[in-house]
Amino acid sequence: MNDIAIAKAGAADGYENSRLADWVPIHFDLRDTWFPVAFSADIGTQAVRRIVHAQAYYLWRDRGRIRAAEFRPDQLEELRRSATAFTGGTGHYPVTERYGYVWAWYGNPDNADPALIPSIPFLPVDGSNIPRYTQRTVRFDAASPLSVENLIDLTHADFLHAKAIGDGRSESDIVEVQSTSETVTRTRIVTRKSVAPVMRWIGGVRAKYQDLRAVLHVHLRNNLAISYPSFSPGYAIPNVQPFVPVGRHRSRVDQTNYTVAAPAPFRWLMPRISYVIQPQDNAVLRPQNERYFDADRRRDLSSRFDAPGNRYRLVMRRLAERQRRGDFSYAADGDPSVDISAVLGMDG
Amino acid sequence: MAEGQWWAVALTEAVSSEKPLPVVCEGEELVLFRNAAGQAFALEDRCPHRRVPLSPGVLTPGGLQCPYHGWTFDGASGVCREIPNLHADERVPARHAAKAFLVAEADGFIHVWRGSGAPTGVLPSAAYRPAGREYSGSAVVNMAHCNYLETMLDGPECLLAFPCVTITDFFLGEPRRDDKHLVLDHGGVWKGKGIGPAFVRDHPLVLRTRVPLVGGAIFVELLTAAEVPLVTIFIASTANRRGTTSLNWRGFRHAHKIPSAPLAWQLRRAAGRAPFEVLAEVKGASIAALRVAPSLNLTSRTRHEAECRNPR
Repeated sequence: MNDIAIAKAGAADGYENSRLADWVPIHFDLRDTWFPVAFSADIGTQAVRRIVHAQAYYLWRDRGRIRAAEFRPDQLEELRRSATAFTGGTGHYPVTERYGYVWAWYGNPDNADPALIPSIPFLPVDGSNIPRYTQRTVRFDAASPLSVENLIDLTHADFLHAKAIGDGRSESDIVEVQSTSETVTRTRIVTRKSVAPVMRWIGGVRAKYQDLRAVLHVHLRNNLAISYPSFSPGYAIPNVQPFVPVGRHRSRVDQTNYTVAAPAPFRWLMPRISYVIQPQDNAVLRPQNERYFDADRRRDLSSRFDAPGNRYRLVMRRLAERQRRGDFSYAADGDPSVDISAVLGMDG
Repeated sequence: MAEGQWWAVALTEAVSSEKPLPVVCEGEELVLFRNAAGQAFALEDRCPHRRVPLSPGVLTPGGLQCPYHGWTFDGASGVCREIPNLHADERVPARHAAKAFLVAEADGFIHVWRGSGAPTGVLPSAAYRPAGREYSGSAVVNMAHCNYLETMLDGPECLLAFPCVTITDFFLGEPRRDDKHLVLDHGGVWKGKGIGPAFVRDHPLVLRTRVPLVGGAIFVELLTAAEVPLVTIFIASTANRRGTTSLNWRGFRHAHKIPSAPLAWQLRRAAGRAPFEVLAEVKGASIAALRVAPSLNLTSRTRHEAECRNPR
């Protein structure tokens, strides 16, 4: 019953007309997934409101136990009759905690299995000892998939963020992309690149050049981006960037920049670089957003550097199409909980 | 046969080789810039790569560089000349191009051709022939373009101001067709002379507005009753986004001395003060109260009817 109700609500409303023609990010509304809707440390006894797509999630703790509901706790009984299929009519969402986040289910509650929470191998599972300085919230003024595409896109970083993260000049720059039915993984291997200014000046890396192996692993349903950039000389700066869609035109990102392995003061300051990077991205995302509202007969032009982003567009369309047909299951290649340590290159 | 027209979209001095200028023409976003030699160019303000505006980009010897990924577009052709990080032996595909517009610079305005085929007809500003010191400006007014044109017929006093002059709402006859314009005269009086416009036997001044049937070129003249021109203004108007209108104007005071003009007019003239004002802030209540009259002739324009029904 929940399946039917939610499917009718639209797995990808308005997507049908554009599925062959173009990339329309505002149409993606993928279901049956866990969203990291808050840092665990941010939730206390006072209810806070978060949004996933168009659904309200009120989060609070009841005698230490995390709760997520469609309504404020004081209105829960009164409004329970108007509860949606997202909570199976109970008003309560499936909710749990892991990796320092509160994970709430978006979709048919009958399918909410904690085993579907994505693996984040560099974070403590129980969230213990994650320093608060690693956790930052930023917001992006565009549809979540557009923001994710911005993150996947590499050449803009070398250009738009050059002053903060380096100019992209290197001896060799190899980009590979792989995908499953549920994820896109982009691997970038750079040899002898200019050391990022931020790493040189406060990160203790005095060399002029360094090698980089950066892996970005994106879960399609919940826009969860897990990144593992490893610098040599230097260190790894693993991070998590969940682009939670707050409606169709904005996203909230509770980032964890897990810089605990980096030297001080870099480990404290680097997570704050989000406040430098985010306005730069927003400057392009804001005007870009409305230009993707409709299928455009003029297709976007691409260079070979856009292969990861174009793959992301393709697999997102495929997944949305599958959900539009009513199939919300995870295929054999798409288990979100599979250990990705090797994929991220944490072993070596 | 070409279908389209020239639009004056910017003042010539507003377009530089230092910083691109975003403008909107008939709802379409454009970016204007010059090369080092001073030649002006117009591109669609939209990178064909990921659709971000090009106007926040930077000007390089190769053209306009997109602020997002650094693709660089040639001003004249729109062709992408450079994609950063490509190897020296890699070429940018020829089809990688931004939409480019033909540009003509004349009479202190940058004009762009919007339409198909080769440009035809004269430039909108061709009839503007300044003599003496010019006063110019730009604004975006909070009115739809079709409403702005209608108001310029029904109540130009809501859109323009002339120091020392009161423009009355008494129309001197019917709008008359003059090529691609409707032309209408309003009576005017000197402020502080006489006992008020209601009591004048004949208006000592005439405000003549020429409102386009096609395009956005508005001409305004302040004349004496004997048709001696005092002030001439050319206003280039076009639809901006969300029901607003972009204006760029130039105007000047004619050299004629008018003995009957009040002292304040003479003093302002001697001091070089502007003889007119194109209002950037229009009063909604005044516009709303304005009764439809001569603009009846204008709203028969098919295009404007469609615009008014479907404001941007």
